[in-house]
Amino acid sequence: MKKKGLLLLFCCLVLLTGCWDQRLFKDAKLIMGATFDLTDDGQVKDTVSVLIPDAGTERASEGSAHIETGIGNNLFDARSKIDQQLAYKFDPSKLEVLLIGEEIAKQDIYSILDGYYRAPRNNLSAEIAVVEGEAAEVFTITTDQEPRISEHIVGLLDAVADTTHSHGDNVQLICAELFEPGIDIALPLLSVDKDANKINYKGLALFHDKQYHGTSLNAEQATLLLLMDNKKGKVARITRKVSEKGEPRMARYLSAEVTKHNRDLKIIPSGGTVSVDINLDLYVNVVEYPLDKLTDPKKITELEKKLSETLTKEAEEVISLLQEAHSDVLGIGRRTEAFHYDTWKQMDWEEEFKTITITPKVNVVIQEHGTIG
Amino acid sequence: MRYRRRKSEQEKLMEEQPGSEADVKEPAQPSYSQLSRNIEYLTKALKHSNDLKVRVLNDGNAALLYFETLADQEKVQEKIFTQMEFGKWDSIAELPNGKHTEDLEEALKVLLRGHALYIEDGNKKLSYFSVTTEINRSVEEPENEKVVRGSHEGFVENLMININLLRKRLEHRDLTIKFFRVGKKTNTNIAIAYMDGITNPELVEEVEKRIKSVTADTILSPGFMEEFIEDNPGSPFPQVLSTERPDRVIANVMSGKIALIAEGSPTVLILPSTFFMFYQSPDDYNSRWFSGTFIRIIRLMSFLIAIGLPAMYIAIIGFHFEVIPDDLVPPVKSAIDQIAYPPFVEAFIMVVIIELIREAGMRLPQPVGQTIGIVGGLVIGDAVIRAGLISNLMVIVVALTAIASFVVPSHELSTTLRMLTFPLIILASTLGFIGIVFGIMFILIHLVKLESFGNPYFAPVSPLRLQDLKDTFVRIPLFKLDNRPKDANPIKEQSMGESREWKRNGKSKKSKQTKKSK
Repeated sequence: MKKKGLLLLFCCLVLLTGCWDQRLFKDAKLIMGATFDLTDDGQVKDTVSVLIPDAGTERASEGSAHIETGIGNNLFDARSKIDQQLAYKFDPSKLEVLLIGEEIAKQDIYSILDGYYRAPRNNLSAEIAVVEGEAAEVFTITTDQEPRISEHIVGLLDAVADTTHSHGDNVQLICAELFEPGIDIALPLLSVDKDANKINYKGLALFHDKQYHGTSLNAEQATLLLLMDNKKGKVARITRKVSEKGEPRMARYLSAEVTKHNRDLKIIPSGGTVSVDINLDLYVNVVEYPLDKLTDPKKITELEKKLSETLTKEAEEVISLLQEAHSDVLGIGRRTEAFHYDTWKQMDWEEEFKTITITPKVNVVIQEHGTIG
Repeated sequence: MRYRRRKSEQEKLMEEQPGSEADVKEPAQPSYSQLSRNIEYLTKALKHSNDLKVRVLNDGNAALLYFETLADQEKVQEKIFTQMEFGKWDSIAELPNGKHTEDLEEALKVLLRGHALYIEDGNKKLSYFSVTTEINRSVEEPENEKVVRGSHEGFVENLMININLLRKRLEHRDLTIKFFRVGKKTNTNIAIAYMDGITNPELVEEVEKRIKSVTADTILSPGFMEEFIEDNPGSPFPQVLSTERPDRVIANVMSGKIALIAEGSPTVLILPSTFFMFYQSPDDYNSRWFSGTFIRIIRLMSFLIAIGLPAMYIAIIGFHFEVIPDDLVPPVKSAIDQIAYPPFVEAFIMVVIIELIREAGMRLPQPVGQTIGIVGGLVIGDAVIRAGLISNLMVIVVALTAIASFVVPSHELSTTLRMLTFPLIILASTLGFIGIVFGIMFILIHLVKLESFGNPYFAPVSPLRLQDLKDTFVRIPLFKLDNRPKDANPIKEQSMGESREWKRNGKSKKSKQTKKSK
């Protein structure tokens, strides 16, 4: 009897609950991309790309995008403004990409991200990037490369991460670095070319703490920075001028892919401050060099020397840009705190990062010269 | 001494029709010396059935009784009258191939078995001759348990032929057969077969006890027996493995299990059974052990697909669509966006449609069955998607589930799996992933608790026996399976001695021999 009662209770419990917490996938309006800008009076302008599936198609399709804008006092206020314009419920849980306008990035990027970290059902693996000018402009671009603009941007950001032009960060990955004083982030910087109807990758936007300084690295510098940061993507390609003479003009350039790299970052504490030596060994495979003669050891040594010199000079530039932007992307502060805590305690990292000596040295070794001799 | 006795017992059992040791106790009735009283008693007991033939011989001094419908006229001629024509014997009662009784109840039983009964006036001794017609189909490969390699023999409806198939495969004196009579009215002849000296005697005792406790009037098939003797009839899981393959039976008997065979059915029950036995097929052992292992793992995966896939899908699109991979979001969204019903109703309709098609196709004759399959599978499948009743993803999920449930080599377990889908679908559509976790937890708890003839059903996983895992999820080479599985608690565990010695120290052995010869 007791058993029967329990069984009845269990059945009631399961069946009478109904579907109170059900969230039907077909009733969700999926937000695939979101951009954030500041209005003139300091409000948040949230422009989103909503996935509209193709109805009644035989084959599976990508669907199309519908753009909607909401202006509110903060993230969730803007969201609810958008929700009021949408059939069914606003759902950010499959967000692909999050784009931040330059204005907000320069103020405080965390003020937008806080809502993402705090509320569950946000997609923390959404990719994140900064857009020059107004981020919402991105959604005005119509590309025929991909059916949806958000997917196009995701593809773009994935590709630059693979070619060692950005860290490939997502919302989750930058979280800790936003809070830690000893390390800063660098996010990919996109620009919208309205005339050409295109979105371009511009380089890396250097952040200090939670603010974008306004300084950015170009694509070549970004690769070098990532190599110094020991974060090679799938491919790291370097194209540099190696001689002043030579016809046609393109023969003066050499392209090489880094097959192996060895980064040695040494922090030397001395008298309440630190100096840093960065030694970067690059083992490369030459993939384009029309002048050839790469079987000649002398020629190889010459090219290696030339490349090492050029890259070391560029590395110095990158470092000076970092220090100017006050952006410790290499995490030197974190290392100092970990390995030289006494020095770290004496230092005011906020102020002194700009003044410490960082000496980069790049050493290129040509290991292979492609499939022809 | 003991051995000889046992052997002679066995021989006797093989020679004569069983039943003399009938366990169903019925009153004995001594025969009368008058012919008429005997006949009167018998015809009355047989309710004056019209097919009982009474042939009066010797001017009314003797009679031969038999059921026309059971006896073979030619055999009557050959065994009785042709013998008499030789003139060696004076009376039919003296024929050497006859057996004798003085019990009319016994005589009744042999009549019903198809024997011819000879009664003489003034003689209490009744003689009977086996003249039963035997209508048997030939030994064929069972339709529902086909294998690619290996034996293509299957059991038939005749108990004697079935035991013959077993004996031919297992020529050892320890193979013990015991006969029982069950069903008060049907008097079905059943037999158990086991290896004396391997099978645990306690298990044999238990099985005998349970068989003897069956008091039903009708026992038609092993399916009836299964329900009477199994441990837990309230469980959805079959606790007794049924098979129509002699090689499978022998393999199980050799690992210390008991086979239960019944007259009139080609299905043999294996007691006790474990859950993982249902996932073993003779094909695993016929093929190389790599492929055997691969196929077995696929089969065990099909268990999870069969019970969990629709529930999983419902939980995902009803509660947790975050887990859909990013690239799949647009296709999935466009597939289900225009569906009118909630996923639960959708799944329910589709599962019921599949079950209807399956059942309709199975009962109908072959050509019509195929038509049903095509009409049901293709036309309805396509139409429900176009009509927007069911999404094409749901069709994939439910069809895959049905296919996965058919992968199990045992038909009973396959039905069980398809039934277990329903509670999980309900749980998934009310509670999401948590519901599935609860559902699978209950199923696991039940499996772990279940026993088959006192042996744990979920062995060797629970209780964990690492030794026996060698032939559970994987099948390692046969020469390494040197211990019998402990499922049935066999009294002799070791199943082989040293194997492949030539490989292990082959070279050294050979060189030693050559040295010696030199």
